[in-house]
Formats: sequence, C-alpha cells, structure tokens
Amino acid sequence: MIAFEYVEPESLEEVLALLEQHGEDAKVLAGGTGLINLMKQRLVQPAYLIGLRQLARSPELAEIRPNGGLTIGALCSHRTIETSALIQHRLPLLATTFRHVASVRIRTAATLGGSLAHADPNQDPPPALLVLDARIRIQSRHGAREIELGDFFVDYYETALEPEELITTVVIPPQPADTGTAFLKFLPQTHDDYATIAVAALVSLDGDTIAQARIALGAAAATPLRARAVETALQGQAPTPQVIHAAAALVAEEVDPLADFRGSVEYKRDMAVVFTQRAIEQAVTHARGASGNV
Amino acid sequence: MKSIQLRVNGQAVERDVADNTLLIDFLRNGLDLTGTKEGCSVGVCGACTVLLDGQPVSSCLTLAVTADGCEVTTIEGLTEGDRLHPLQKAFIDYGGFQCGICTPGQIMSAKALLDENPHPSKDEIQSWMMGNLCRCTGYYKIIESIQAVADGKVST
Amino acid sequence: MASLASVGQPAGHVEGPSKVTGQARYTADIRLPGLLYGKCLRSPFPHARIVSIDTSQAKALAGVHAVITGAELPDRRIGRFFLDKPVLARDVVRFVGEKVVAVAAESMDIAEEALTRIAVEYEALPAVFDPVEAMQEDAPRVHADTSTYTHPPVPDFVHPGDDRLYPDIPNVVSQVFYTHGDIEAGFAQAAREFTHTFTIPPVHQGYIEPHASVVQIEPDGKVNLWISNKTPFVARAQFAAALGVAEDRVCVNTAPIGGDFGGKGSLMDGVVCYHLAAAAGRPVKMVMSYTEELLAGNPRHPAVITLRTGVDANGRIVARKARLVFSCGAYSAFTPLHTVHGSVHAAGPYRMPNVEIEVFRVYTNTVPAGHMRAPGAPQIVFGVESHMDLIAQELGLDPLEFRLRNTLIEGDAAPLGEKWKKIRCKETLEAAAKEAKWGAEKTANRGRGIGMYDREPGAFGPSSATLSIAADATLTLMTGAADTGTGSYTILQQVVAEELQVPLESVRVVQGSTDSAPWEVGAGGSRLTHMAGQATLAAVQRLKEGLTAFAARHMETPSEQVAYRAGEFVNTNGQHLALPTLMAALAGREELPLRYTGEYVAEDPMDVTSFCAQIAEVEVDPATGQVTLQKLTTAHDVGTVLNPLTHQGQVEGGAIQGVGHALTEHLIVQDGAVTNVHLGDYKLPTSMDIPELKTVLVESDAGPAPYAGKAIGEHSNVAVPAAVANAVFDAVGVRLMDLPVTAEKVYTALREKTARSRTMRRGNS
Repeated sequence: MIAFEYVEPESLEEVLALLEQHGEDAKVLAGGTGLINLMKQRLVQPAYLIGLRQLARSPELAEIRPNGGLTIGALCSHRTIETSALIQHRLPLLATTFRHVASVRIRTAATLGGSLAHADPNQDPPPALLVLDARIRIQSRHGAREIELGDFFVDYYETALEPEELITTVVIPPQPADTGTAFLKFLPQTHDDYATIAVAALVSLDGDTIAQARIALGAAAATPLRARAVETALQGQAPTPQVIHAAAALVAEEVDPLADFRGSVEYKRDMAVVFTQRAIEQAVTHARGASGNV
Repeated sequence: MKSIQLRVNGQAVERDVADNTLLIDFLRNGLDLTGTKEGCSVGVCGACTVLLDGQPVSSCLTLAVTADGCEVTTIEGLTEGDRLHPLQKAFIDYGGFQCGICTPGQIMSAKALLDENPHPSKDEIQSWMMGNLCRCTGYYKIIESIQAVADGKVST
Repeated sequence: MASLASVGQPAGHVEGPSKVTGQARYTADIRLPGLLYGKCLRSPFPHARIVSIDTSQAKALAGVHAVITGAELPDRRIGRFFLDKPVLARDVVRFVGEKVVAVAAESMDIAEEALTRIAVEYEALPAVFDPVEAMQEDAPRVHADTSTYTHPPVPDFVHPGDDRLYPDIPNVVSQVFYTHGDIEAGFAQAAREFTHTFTIPPVHQGYIEPHASVVQIEPDGKVNLWISNKTPFVARAQFAAALGVAEDRVCVNTAPIGGDFGGKGSLMDGVVCYHLAAAAGRPVKMVMSYTEELLAGNPRHPAVITLRTGVDANGRIVARKARLVFSCGAYSAFTPLHTVHGSVHAAGPYRMPNVEIEVFRVYTNTVPAGHMRAPGAPQIVFGVESHMDLIAQELGLDPLEFRLRNTLIEGDAAPLGEKWKKIRCKETLEAAAKEAKWGAEKTANRGRGIGMYDREPGAFGPSSATLSIAADATLTLMTGAADTGTGSYTILQQVVAEELQVPLESVRVVQGSTDSAPWEVGAGGSRLTHMAGQATLAAVQRLKEGLTAFAARHMETPSEQVAYRAGEFVNTNGQHLALPTLMAALAGREELPLRYTGEYVAEDPMDVTSFCAQIAEVEVDPATGQVTLQKLTTAHDVGTVLNPLTHQGQVEGGAIQGVGHALTEHLIVQDGAVTNVHLGDYKLPTSMDIPELKTVLVESDAGPAPYAGKAIGEHSNVAVPAAVANAVFDAVGVRLMDLPVTAEKVYTALREKTARSRTMRRGNS
C-alpha cells in the first residue's frame, strides 16, 4: 500500500476546507471498497485521505428521508438502502437493484456517494437511479449545487465532481402514477460478477398507453446511459409486444459497449437489446398491477 | 502514525498504527491474530472477513485507523475457553471445510447472517454466503453446516 | 464390512478444531524474530533480452535489506524433473511475470515501493504463444539451447514407446507415444472415420491460499523452510539441489496447505526466498499476491487435442489415433515428469483394440504450466467425450447407446492393454443414466449430456508413518505428508482406531517435519488413502507385535498365547492387561514413547481402476446463450468408502471445480500475458452457482487401500466440461469445440446455425 496521511474531520465544513486546501492531492474515503483497491494497485495515489466516518452522525449525509420523493444521504451503505423499510415501500426498484451489488460484505461497506464518485460504468445502481430521474447534490466550501445524475457521469471513471467537492445527497423526485419498474442484471458467468449488461426500466401507464418510459443501462458504454430513443419510441404507444420489440431494438444505436472479460462489443450490444426488451416487458407488467409504488 | 483504541474479541487494545496499515495486517502482524486469512486482496474471496461493530467487512479493504473506537471480532473471538462456537462445531461435524484457509471467513460471514437472521432458509444462506469463495467443498457442506446451526441441531 | 467400527463411519476432520478456530498456522502465518518481507519484480515482456538492471535506487531506500538479480546467483537451474528454470531470469525473460529482481525489506509496503525504483532495460525478442505454431520451423525458439538442461530418463512404468526428450522439433520438450494393437490395421477395419480437434485454455487451480515461503538460516547454515508445498520431502530434495547442499542441511517444517488441487507441488518462491535470506542475513517471508498467482502461478496446461476414430458397421470403435499438443509455457520445470499424464485417457474407458496416442509438450512464451487435479485429463476428456457424442450423432445413435456398445466390461483389456479386475464401467454409466433420468422427456431448450472417465488409485513412491504410544498410553501417528485438506489425516486416524479397536478420538495425527517424520512422498496423484493408509496399517501391525511381546513378558506368558483385543491384552489363561497398565509398567524400563514405523511400496501396476460417469442437465436461453446447469449427476465406481463424510466432500468439491472449468474459468492470454489477474475477473463458482448434485456410488471391494478402498480425489472434476458441452448440444443443437462454454460462444454458435439453416432453406426453395 502506498503511503498517505489519513485525516478524519469532525464536520462537513472541515472536510470541505480540507478538500479546498489539498485539491487533487486528496481523496475522500467512505466505504473504501473501490478506493482502497485502486490505491493498492497504485492507480490512485493521494497524499491525503480524508475519512468521512465522523460524518455518519450527520442526518443529511447518513439518512434516508421522505421529501416528496426521497433524499438519500451519500454515506448510506448499499446494505442500508437495500434493507430500508422506507425504500422497500416507496422505491422497491432501488431495494432490488442494491441487493444485486456484489456481496453482503461489500454492500455493508460501500456507500451510495462512494459508488457514484467511483463511476465504474459496470455498476448496478446508476441505471436504476437514472430511470428515477435522480439528482445529485454536491457541496464545496463555496456552496452547493444540484445536477442531474445523467450529467454527473462524464466518461470512463470520470465525473463532474471537482476536486474540492463532495457528494452529500441523492434526491429522488416523486414518480408518476401507475408506474412499474424493473432492474435486470445479466450475469452469464458467476453470481458475484459485474453485469455483462444491466438495464433498468420505468414505465407509467395512462390507461392502455405508455405515458412515460425511462430506460437506462449499465455496462453498456463508458458511462451509465439513458436510452432516450427507446423512451421516445415507447411514449404514447400501447405496450404491445411489437411496440416493445421495435423500441428495444433502438438501444443498439445508443449503447457503445467496451469489450472486456464479460463480452465483446457485438455481444453486449445484442444483449442490451434483449434485456431492454425484457426490462420493458417486466416494467409494463408491474405497472399494470401497480399500487402506486415504484 | 495514529494512535487507535478499539476492542478486539472483547479485549481493549491501544496501539500506534501507520496511516496506511490495513486492518488485516494490523490483526495478523500487530496482534498475531493470524486466523484471519488473505486470499484475493481485492474484497472478492471473503477469506479476510471480520466483524466490525457486528457487521461483516473485508479486512483487506479496511484501514486500521477506521477501526478506531470499534469492536472487532475475528475467528479467534468465537471460542469461549475451549468451547467451540456452534458454527465451528458444525463446520467440523458436517464437513463444512477441507483445507481450512477460507473457513475463518466463512464462519465469520455465517455468524453475521445468524446474528441478523437466526433461521435463514437455504436460499438465504446461499445468497448471503455468495461473497465467500471456497475451492474445496463446492459449498454444499458449508450450507448444510450453517443450516444445521440455524435448525438448532448443533450443541456445544 | 459390518464388523468395522471406525472405518466406514462419517468422521469430521481430525485437524478440524485448529482450522475452525483460526489456530492452524499456514505458511503465510509464520512469524519469526527479525522477519523481512520479500517481493519480486517481474517481466512485462513475453520474450526479451535483459540489457541492463539498475537497482541502486531500490538499495538506497530505507528499510531495504537485500536486492538481488539473476546474474548474482549461482547459474543453477531448478525444477521438479526438468531442471530448466532459473531462480531469477538471467539474460533473457521468457514470459510475462517471470521473476527478474528480488527485494527483501522491513515491510511488504517498503518492498513494493523498492520494486518501483528498479529500472530494467529490455530488448524485445520475437515470441510465440501457440503450441502448434511453436512447433513450426520458422517459430521463434523459446530456449536457444537446451543441451545443458538436465532431466531424469523417461521412467519404465510408462507404456513403452518411441519416447524422445528434446526431439529435433522446434520448441518441443517431449514427444511421447502410447500405443497398443496395430493402428493401421485398425483403421483398415473401420466402416467410417471421424476426426475432430478441440482447444482448451489454461485454468488456475483456484486455491484460496496464494503460494508462500519462509526461510530462516541458522548460524551453522542449516536452512529452515516453511513452504506451501504438499510434498515436503520432495521439496527438500529439490530445494537442496537448487542450493547445492546435502538434503540434511534443509528442514522443511510443517504447515497445512490452504488448497492444493495439484498446484502446490513446486518450489515457487522458495529458492529466491533463500537467496534473499542469505543476502540479508535475516529470515524472509514471501507471499504471492493473487495477481501474481494468476499471472505467474503454475496453471493447468492449455491443449490442442485432435482425435481420429474408426468405427465399424455396428458402431463399435476399432481404432483411435490421438495427437495431443500441450503448451508447458516458458519452462518445463514444474510440469509432470516426461509428459502430461492424462494423455493415457485419450482412448477413454472404452473397448478399443488399436490405439496410438502421440503427445507433445511444447515451450511457448507463456506462464509455465504445472499440475492440476488429474493433470491433462480434463482437457483430454473434454475432447474424447465431445468426440464420442459427435460420432454418435453422425451414426444416428443415442449418446448413451453408443457408449454402452463400447464401454469396457469385465474381462476386457483396457485400450492400452492394462488388465483390470472388477470392471464396473457399464454399471457406473447405467447407474448415472438411471439417476439422471436419461431419456425422460425434456422441456424446450433443456438438454442432457454425458461425460466419462476412469482413474487408477495412486500408487507411486514409498510411504511411511510412525505410530507412537506414550507412558499414558496415548497414541500418536506421525506422517510426513502435508495436510492439503482432503481429510487424509482422518483416514489414517480411522485406520489406527480400527486396527486397535479404540475410540477415534484417542488417536492423534500429527505432521512431522522432514527432520522428524519418516520419508513420505506426500499428497498427489490420489495416493494417500492407499499408500499412507497401507503404511499406517503396517505401523499398527508393528506396534501390536511389539506391545504383544512386552505384554507377554509382563504376563509371563509365551507371546503366541497373548492376543490384543480392544485396548488390552488377554492371554489363554484369561488374564487381562489393559494398555495403560502395560505402559505404566514399561515406564522407567523402556524408552518411551515407543515408536513403530510402517513402510509401504505398492505393487506395480495397479490391477483396478475407478470409473466415473457424469450427466449434466442444462437449460439454455436461446436469446442470450446463457447456460444454466440445473442438475449434475455424478456416479462413481468406488471401493470401500473409509469416511463417507470426507469422501463425499471430495466428490462435491471436485464436481464444482469441473463446473467452473466448464462454464467460467479460463486464464485469458493476450500477447502472451494473462490479463484477468484478480478474482474479480477470473471467475470461480460461488455458493449461488452450484447445481442440484446427485451422487451415486457403485461400490465394490477391489481397492488397494486398507479395507479395499480406492481413490476419489481426482474423479469428479474431470468429465464435467464434456458433459456440459454435450448437454448444450442436446439442448439447442450447437457444438462447442473449446472451453469454457460461455454464453457468448453459445449465442454466436446459435446465430451461425440459424444463418446456415436460412441459407439452406433458401437453397432448397
């Protein structure tokens, strides 16, 4: 392991001051499951490591709160989100998605904010958060800003986060009525693997037509992405097999997968189509039986 | 260098550690608790699983300084005197290990499961234990061992 | 065998308490005063000349105690049989991951930091990665000159043939033939002939304990070695040879092995660890990271397997010609003896009068291969059993029916001429078929596939064990075999308890170091239950005889009138003498504990084998190619099962290794370098990836181990990949000729099949 100085501030203000002071030389440590691995491989070599452990007492950063929709503190662990009664009741899509991440042990440590900042395009939560139209609150010493999650992911392991900024909360707006969701993680190898392709879908129905559809994919490009063409093709249509099939096929043009151990570019593109179709079908089924939950 | 105070297997411990010392190295080299094993070093295999304030974590991905003020439980903390923990006994009686290198991690993960859910189904056991790789057993007897404890079939 | 009390009963591992409490000290757990940590800088090139090495910056780093390069070491190559590997690269590197410079420092962090401060200049050389290409005349030579490499002659226990070591073929280490019958005459009888080629990539053993070594040099030069090596006595010999010292100057100390599966039989970092300890004047520990394991361990040989088979008009095999090409990587040092042993299985457990198997072991600029659970067999059996299904399909026969026509039956000679008694091949296959409901109706996209294999119980090398009895009558068996986790210590404990009719828990089993234990080959080749078991049995007999003599003297009775019975001696007068009483009486008069050593050498060759038939049932998602293994039936022809618990543990663990080999595992080699170098990318099966497993045991009493036991350790992993590939064909009609059976390959093959059938339909219209 590389050498660094570890600091553990008592308050958010101190964290932000240290980030401002050290800039690129500092990294913040939350659960550590991503960052420590990168540091062990010498891919990231911060001189200062700012531990956020003391901020776990901060309601803003560590709690899940109803707020029209929901706000989720960036320091909530995956396990907290997965097992939260509030999430399970209000946003079962998120509970399902977070349950698919790695192992219980990793989910216990890994935090929401940490995983977003890590920005590995193969992660599971981003597509689910994208279809929920999540926004992300970022703070620095100079103030706070809120951006759409879709604008947060810039490139492979790159985000819109500036060195002096910290993710504080994720804001999930209220979802439309009669909505169904689905999250599908394609795991052709072992169950502890990253997705070969992951698709989240949200469909809200207005009688027999699709009032709104949001589709997002992980492991499909250098960043998680919204499949806007698919969404547009579904909007206002009756969710017939033909419509869903035709709409899902459009995702092939939207993804730009990277070849890796989990599949070639061509295979991942084809699988994006298959799982987009399946996710839409499931979301429609759920929407038809929807009790207002997402 | 930082001074940390924590409880390890119920004992108060105060030590100076380097900022970059991993919890696994602190336990193994600093406290001679070599029951915690290092396999993959990337948080996948689970051989280094310990409980931090009762929750299972990869000690290979945890800095020792972040255990300051915490309660750490390792495999060495499960026995009371000579008396094995029911999980330890079950792993012997039901063949839940062979070479034994992953076993401390398996047992610590299983303990975390049973602490949270004393009567898990077979599916819940399989799903929870997914983060602990074993190359010897093919998992069947690990699952049986944990099930036996959950079903109250093991007394120590 | 109803009379047996300990043998045949399920018994938890005797070493269990130490392992479940964390008290067992594996090699990486050894701590010594003044211990330093060693680490190696490895080659980033598959083949390059070392132009220069600058270690000055590393040496200047505080906390660094030794930095050594190959040029500073004696020019002595190491190995298990072929001595062709330098301890650190000299002049040339031959694979990505080869050790070039070694460092010992106060901490692992300092050692790793020191590696970043070493500058090595390389000049890239042309490299070759594929073993078939490596055999071409214009291929780059991995070793420019092999004339100085030493190796033992091909042993006479292999089938006689035209065997050549370093023949005049580029990069070929060995060319070995196994022949029986008249191959040309055989093919002349064939009504039809079939030829297929299969490709198998390298896989890692996947043990969770990475290789570790600790070396401590005593003031008088005696070397203490702790090493994750399953054969301590063999390791001592190789290590002493590498150091150029007598064997008694080295003691290999005891440590359990954290998973072996064949991979823990090499010296790995042991010798470089010694040189670091010598240079630093302090003990040194080296523990490989799992990345180093995957990059530069000693994986299963990749192979290219071509099978040509002649079948007569009745669907009976009349001839088989096999050409097997194994890449051993850049060095042959830690690969099996003269070739890859599993090659003998190229004929399968089938009646086959005419056979010719030609095996090449070939150097390539890739990670050197080693042993893994039934070396060579899974590769070959994937080919053989896939080939069987391909032939059955061409002949319009059900795969089960085609096999039943050709399986060995009692009285048959094996394909290479071995004469076996109690052949249970057909019975094992039929038992598997019944349990798997072969022929029962299946839903769409479900398929079943068969794989078959046989393996003789291990019988090589001498074994010995020492049984001692102390003044308080406690019994301790000392073995020199390292504990790899297979439960062999428990088997030995059962043998002692059975023979002395005492409770199991009254017998301790301990591992002795090479200084304290009698000579023992150690674990490997499914030999311990047989060999160490028989040696233990011999030790118990000696102890009984020795104690009987003491008892007779004590009871003042001729020894032929004294009998041992369940913890006491009884004479013909009806007098009883309990063991503790006898031992108490001997205290002060004899040197206690009393020690009795038993030795055993097996008769050659084995007159039995063990058959295995496996049936996989898969479901394939045609839209994605995903293969889900729903059920695996594994049927085994076994002898007396000495310990049902640990026996079943071997069956289950092996089967799931087979599942990994079938579906997910492969070292992905690009430009010679393994690229999936951590367990996030090299995918071992998890607890969520296991099928419903049905085990069927077809028991007979013909084994060479005590109580007519056989071997089980290297059976259930072998035929799974073939069974899965055959099941995929049965499910969706696509045939994979290479491993693993990934979703993408199945998907691609399905698309090609659809495209072909469209073309054909167009052609027909």
